[in-house]
Amino acid sequence: MIGKLLRADFLKIKRKGLWFLSFLGPFGVIALQMVNYGVRKDYLLNQSDDDWGYFLEYVHSFTPLALVLGIAILTSFMASIENETNAWKQLISLPVSKMSVYLSKFMVLGSLLFVSSLLLGVFSLGYGILLNLGDQIPYLELLKYSFYPYLAALPILALQLWIASVSQNQGIPITTGVLGVIFAYSAFILPDWMIWKWPSLMNEWDEPLINVMLGIGVGTLLYIVGMLDFTRRDVK
Amino acid sequence: MEYVVQTTNLSKRFGKESAVIGLDMKIRKGEIYGFLGPNGAGKTTTIRMLLGLMKASSGTIQIFEKDLNKEKINILKRVGSLVENPSYYPHLTAYENLEALRKILGVPKTRIHEVLEIVRLTEVANKKVKGFSLGMKQRLGIAASLLNSPELLILDEPTNGLDPSGIIEIRNLIKQLPAETGMTILISSHLLTEIDQMATTVGIVTKGKMIYQDSIESLRMYAQQKVLLKVSDSEQAWRSLLGNGIKADWEDGIILLSEHSDGKVAKAIHTLVHEGYSIYRVEEEKRSLEDIFLQMTTREKVI
Amino acid sequence: MVSILQSEWFKFRHSKIMFIILTVPIIGIFLGFTSRFSNEDFEINEWYLSLLSMNLTYALLFLPLITGVLASAICRYEHQAGGWKQLLALPVTRGRVFIAKYVLLIVLVLVMQVLFFVAVYIVGMIKGFTDPFPMVIVWKSLVGGWVATLPLIALQLWMSILFKSFAAPFAINVILTLPTILVVNSERFSSFYPWAQPFLMMYIGGETGDTFYVPWVQLLTVVGGSFILFFVGGYLYFQRKAV
Ligand SMILES: Nc1ncnc2c1ncn2[C@@H]1O[C@H](COP(=O)(O)OP(=O)(O)O)[C@@H](O)[C@H]1O
Ligand SMILES: [Mg+2]
Repeated sequence: MIGKLLRADFLKIKRKGLWFLSFLGPFGVIALQMVNYGVRKDYLLNQSDDDWGYFLEYVHSFTPLALVLGIAILTSFMASIENETNAWKQLISLPVSKMSVYLSKFMVLGSLLFVSSLLLGVFSLGYGILLNLGDQIPYLELLKYSFYPYLAALPILALQLWIASVSQNQGIPITTGVLGVIFAYSAFILPDWMIWKWPSLMNEWDEPLINVMLGIGVGTLLYIVGMLDFTRRDVK
Repeated sequence: MEYVVQTTNLSKRFGKESAVIGLDMKIRKGEIYGFLGPNGAGKTTTIRMLLGLMKASSGTIQIFEKDLNKEKINILKRVGSLVENPSYYPHLTAYENLEALRKILGVPKTRIHEVLEIVRLTEVANKKVKGFSLGMKQRLGIAASLLNSPELLILDEPTNGLDPSGIIEIRNLIKQLPAETGMTILISSHLLTEIDQMATTVGIVTKGKMIYQDSIESLRMYAQQKVLLKVSDSEQAWRSLLGNGIKADWEDGIILLSEHSDGKVAKAIHTLVHEGYSIYRVEEEKRSLEDIFLQMTTREKVI
Repeated sequence: MVSILQSEWFKFRHSKIMFIILTVPIIGIFLGFTSRFSNEDFEINEWYLSLLSMNLTYALLFLPLITGVLASAICRYEHQAGGWKQLLALPVTRGRVFIAKYVLLIVLVLVMQVLFFVAVYIVGMIKGFTDPFPMVIVWKSLVGGWVATLPLIALQLWMSILFKSFAAPFAINVILTLPTILVVNSERFSSFYPWAQPFLMMYIGGETGDTFYVPWVQLLTVVGGSFILFFVGGYLYFQRKAV
């Protein structure tokens, strides 16, 4: 059942620019570093002996913001595809369970963001090589900086999907996204329990893996809560 | 008796307000069931509950003799529906819209062409729905509802907002469906004239209550004309008619003949003349179905 | 004109979108209590440090993003089931409708600016600041930030009329706003980038020779120029929009 729904959902996002945005997110994050390094490359390369590490840190300073905003935009787009002509009623009166309808939306968004994360890694690698940051390419770090924030952001995805799919007014999830990005921008000062801190991979133990684990755990939890609320509600 | 749809004491409350109250709907196989009621009567709410879009506040719903709560997905496999305004994805073409549903329903792709043909949208299949007229969107909605070759088709005000030719087109389409496929159809409307021309059974709701449910013929019986007599000394005259075994009513000084074949009317008049009453007027009262509908739905009681 | 404004205000009041404005004091208080600097090391007015750090995030990210949401919210009613048709079938010109929406937006943004500084004040009170509240600086910063968002709001209104969804104009807004974080590091680029102007105008450490924290020349060319571009663009687009 979920396979069919996924195929239908991927058809529905055609021409809506969601794939383009998934590309634009990581591209934008790297493009900012292109400008940054383009303007003051020599200065930046002098700042550290570990040029790759320093570069990845810089890239990573924008990743959480792009993720939080990207999630808000993609989830709201997904919801508005069904909201625009109230196609929820048509979709839900098909022989499918509401749970699988919700799961399918979550999986499509998860896939889009996965592609974004993958592209972020590829672009980081590409531009890093172009910058001649050294032959010692830190592949493991590269993978971590690309996928850890994504996994740590799963609770935000679950929360935004929940809000977007039950809101008639998409101003609500977008506003939540704006609040989220302010929290993410202030990550270093946030308490560790705030989900918007997690994509920054900071925590008091200095162990990014904790954020990833929390992300997966709490993300699953929030996903379930959102799904149950979605199935409980009447379809307008 | 096998019912395709049977609701028992179905009710729905929104907060304090009751939209549907104790509704018992019975639809037999192969019927075109006209679900009639003025705006806000609770038709759409009932239909949403039948499709599992809303949970009933109380009461039960059986479709294909199965409990909707327990076997929703199995039931919905055999149901097609169009609720209120048609839903569509404006950025996709007509074909893609149906394809998005077909992927979920798992019917062969050829079915898309068939349903597009049925609603005569084949020529615009590859145009984005964004630019469609209301009538075309409505037809696309009907095409979508036919995609899984349903045994029960539920259409909520499918001709709402259409021009007369669009209405006739959809009416003809609906009329031919049960004949060809043995489909059972539930169609709602706030206009009796629309239902009158296709329904075999009607259910009339107003303010959330079912006030009438029977065959269209029975409803038409009410619409038959009555003959009114204005005579001298009318109450006496009425009694003497009854005394002569002629069925009649008396109301506000007017005698109403319930049986109005030419022979019966002639007999009544003959009787009155014979007994010496003066006959001032003999009139026919015309009651259209629309009048009855209006009367039923505004006075809130069965005739 | 007044009647269109009244009708816009009426629709807005009943759109439950007031909560967008309420996010301003929330964010203000949040930023106040997560203030980046501690003033133990400095011998200056306590309010300055508070303002410096609160204004940073507010003007850099929050203000440009939230005004975009507000602009979309103000067009939401019209984008639903034929609202544009209904509105424009009334005896009003499109130009006036555009201006009325714009005026309502900038008034709301001014209210948001005031609310923000009220939040600053409340945070200071709670923290027990004893230094005098720097009214002049706050006024400069409040009005300056407002003036600097005027062109952004014009573009946001344009995009909100163009797109039905909230997500599309918001995506554009994000793409234009995020680079500001980097741009403000460079004096050379930041003076030309319209999205950096709210930050510069609210940056209380900036030049103080002129009325605002940016030179008049820059204000007139960058803010004024982008305002004319975006406002006229949106205005003309709306004139031609098929409804
Ligand atoms: N989601 C809802 N929330 C609150 N009230 C509703 C909702 N849906 C319908 N109603 C109310 O229920 C009543 C019946 O509405 P509806 O079923 O749409 O009528 P009909 O389809 O016969 O025109 C109306 O009074 C309507 O206001
Ligand atoms: Mg209805």
